[in-house]
Amino acid sequence: MDFELGEELVALRDIARDLLAQRWKAESARRALDAPPSRMPGELWAELAEMGWFGAGCSEAGGGSGLGVIAAALLAEEAGRALLPGAMTSTLAGAVALDRNGGAALKAELLPQIIAGSLPVTLAVEEPNGTWGPDSVEVAAQAGAGGLKLSGRKIFVADGSSAGLFLVAARVGDDVRLLPVEAGAGGVEVVPMQRIDAQDIVELRLDGVQVGVERMLPDAGAAHDAYAVWTVLVAADLLGSAGAALAMTTAYAKERVQFGRPIGSFQAVSHRLADVQVNVEIGRSLLYAACLALDERRGDAGALVAAAKAFIGETAVDAAEAAVQLHGGIGYTWELDVHLHLRRARANAVTAGDAGWHRETVARHMAHCYA
Amino acid sequence: MDLKFSAAEEAYRLRCREWIAANAHHAAAVAKAADPVQAARDWQRRLWEAGYVGLAWPKAYGGQDATLTQQVIVSEEMARAKLPPLINTIGLSILGPTLVLHGTEAQRRRFLPRILSGEELWCQGFSEPGAGSDLASLTTRAVLEGDDFVVTGQKLWTSLGPIADWCFLLVRTDPSAPKREGISYLLCRMDTPGISVRPLRNAGGGVHFSEVFFDSVRIPREHLVGELHGGWKIARSTLDHERSGLSGVISLEGSLERLWRQAAAGGEIADAVARQQAAQYWIELEGLRYLGFRALSDQLAGRQPGASASVGKLFAAKLRQKIARAALDNAGPYACLTKKSPHVVGKGRLVAGYFDSLGYSIGGGTSEIMHNVIAERVLGLPRSSGEA
Ligand SMILES: Cc1cc2nc3c(=O)[nH]c(=O)nc-3n(C[C@H](O)[C@H](O)[C@H](O)COP(=O)(O)OP(=O)(O)OC[C@H]3O[C@@H](n4cnc5c(N)ncnc54)[C@H](O)[C@@H]3O)c2cc1C
Repeated sequence: MDFELGEELVALRDIARDLLAQRWKAESARRALDAPPSRMPGELWAELAEMGWFGAGCSEAGGGSGLGVIAAALLAEEAGRALLPGAMTSTLAGAVALDRNGGAALKAELLPQIIAGSLPVTLAVEEPNGTWGPDSVEVAAQAGAGGLKLSGRKIFVADGSSAGLFLVAARVGDDVRLLPVEAGAGGVEVVPMQRIDAQDIVELRLDGVQVGVERMLPDAGAAHDAYAVWTVLVAADLLGSAGAALAMTTAYAKERVQFGRPIGSFQAVSHRLADVQVNVEIGRSLLYAACLALDERRGDAGALVAAAKAFIGETAVDAAEAAVQLHGGIGYTWELDVHLHLRRARANAVTAGDAGWHRETVARHMAHCYA
Repeated sequence: MDLKFSAAEEAYRLRCREWIAANAHHAAAVAKAADPVQAARDWQRRLWEAGYVGLAWPKAYGGQDATLTQQVIVSEEMARAKLPPLINTIGLSILGPTLVLHGTEAQRRRFLPRILSGEELWCQGFSEPGAGSDLASLTTRAVLEGDDFVVTGQKLWTSLGPIADWCFLLVRTDPSAPKREGISYLLCRMDTPGISVRPLRNAGGGVHFSEVFFDSVRIPREHLVGELHGGWKIARSTLDHERSGLSGVISLEGSLERLWRQAAAGGEIADAVARQQAAQYWIELEGLRYLGFRALSDQLAGRQPGASASVGKLFAAKLRQKIARAALDNAGPYACLTKKSPHVVGKGRLVAGYFDSLGYSIGGGTSEIMHNVIAERVLGLPRSSGEA
């Protein structure tokens, strides 16, 4: 047992933080609000592939770093901090899902392309039925002569306009399974959903899309596992956003003078920031625990993932709201980056399950433990 | 980075579990013993002799030099068996680590093993009537006369004062220096002539803390910790240790489990508000647990707890209060009956737990001061006022 980030992980995080700060300016995220959606520039995408980041969460056998889900989470955290378009995080989640749950042939075909950056991938799970997650999937694959046939709608599919491959959750018999669907396949239509943070979120319409049975991810738990990985990466993105909002506001509170003193010397200001710091540290502890629990396939992994997402989602919204308030008038302007974090935090807090939904998962775990 | 337990570690867990199963009846007997203090000391000694006290401390002083994993295993097994906290917690969690860092070799050999065995119980003489949050303004005086310090003044809120054998205290040795530069850190036997202890009843009705009066009390110079006038720096490291650690998580686990069972038995758990609330407490408790793991990993890597210990202290106090209050809320009007009422629920433990919880945001530095420490020492915000 060892609960400290190892040297390699620390190095990965530091490099990511520096590189993204240089290559991606918040200004681009702001511009996208008037000209949606926010996409990753091709050059930057190629550079991330060059760094090997898309395989960060994959095993060495799968062509990845072998550092575990935690490595993908550290990258997702930096993406959130930098307000980077979501495509990297979606592709990280898709790659990890395939690596953990794909059949040998599918992995050999897809993982090298994904890791090389030539096949951006994303999960398509949610449907317009008012709830979240694989258990509520209604879209059902019909078995026919040509394999499985998919029809129906998926919503809130992240980075759908740029994805080359969708991992679609659908009912096959009694289980919810993951089916790979190419963006260019017949019967696939992508319709932008226009989210408040200008992220590339789409509705995926499937009309008789054909998928070979042999391409279905073989593990019956694949959809749930992939969703858990995706959830933890969204939580990591939220933690990065919370950290950025806190850092901006702390810096401002040291500089801005009123009544002859920096505003950070007023306890109404400093104590609110201290609370955000506490929540960021608790959230970080939950995030690391959830990642390790997934890597080790522990029995409490589902509850820890839910805990991390619920807690960090609320923390990130609190951090962004505190940032707006404690910057005063300037915090309420279009020019300042504060609202960019508020938008991202608000939107991601209700992506991959909101806090209340995740607390229900925790409550089921408690009922089981205290039975 | 991993959360795994090796085969050897699982074997260690098994030994620990078996030992506890064979010995837990001694812990259960403490409360009913004719002399509960002596029984609690005996229990601590038994646990120490089995190798389950002082895990993080060096072997040379009676500790175990244990790994993070062993510490986690022992704390998990104690929680599982619902063992009560050890009587010498102040010595174990606050003074011990301070002496490991700042004590002389002679002091470590003299004091540390007796803290572990429970042979010498400790109390903390920091707060005074005029010096609480603003601890550095303390006025208890110590004058060096030959080889002795002569101490006169008053300490307040001294937990375990009535039963302690020794006290570690802060005194002013140089009244002309700036307030943080004239303080020294002393160790004093509680039966030294000139000391008198007056027990204080706390808000919950129990006797927990006390006033301690010093009237020309002679303390040998060899009981000075660190440099003369150099006590403030050491006190701060003491306070960081006081605020860190895993110990809080164990008792919180018990409170949360009781809250859940109570709400499940009463049917409240079917209600979304109660269920969501309990789930939120579980989430916060796990956050605190893994924050503790991070802090312990840090300490094993040779770094001291520092200001970040305040993060856990602040969060834990609030969580404890929320759980205690929810337990009262769930029990409705029955929760407000005294132990003597024939209608009381939970033998009055809910009310006791509630009063107890309120002390956690005052003792060891108030929650307001924890906010100051985090704002100033962690975030680097400008000083407001008070400790940082
Ligand atoms: C259960 C319990 C056990 C204790 N055990 C011990 C012990 O064993 N040994 C020991 O030495 N002491 C002990 N104490 C004392 C404890 O450390 C002090 O009570 C505490 O530090 C606060 O000091 P005070 O009581 O003088 O309150 P004050 O310092 O007078 O504070 C009163 C209020 O003002 C607030 N306040 C003060 N300064 C500031 C500031 N700068 N900014 C914002 N708010 C501020 C405080 O947060 C508090 O709410 C114990 C206390 C309790 C409740």
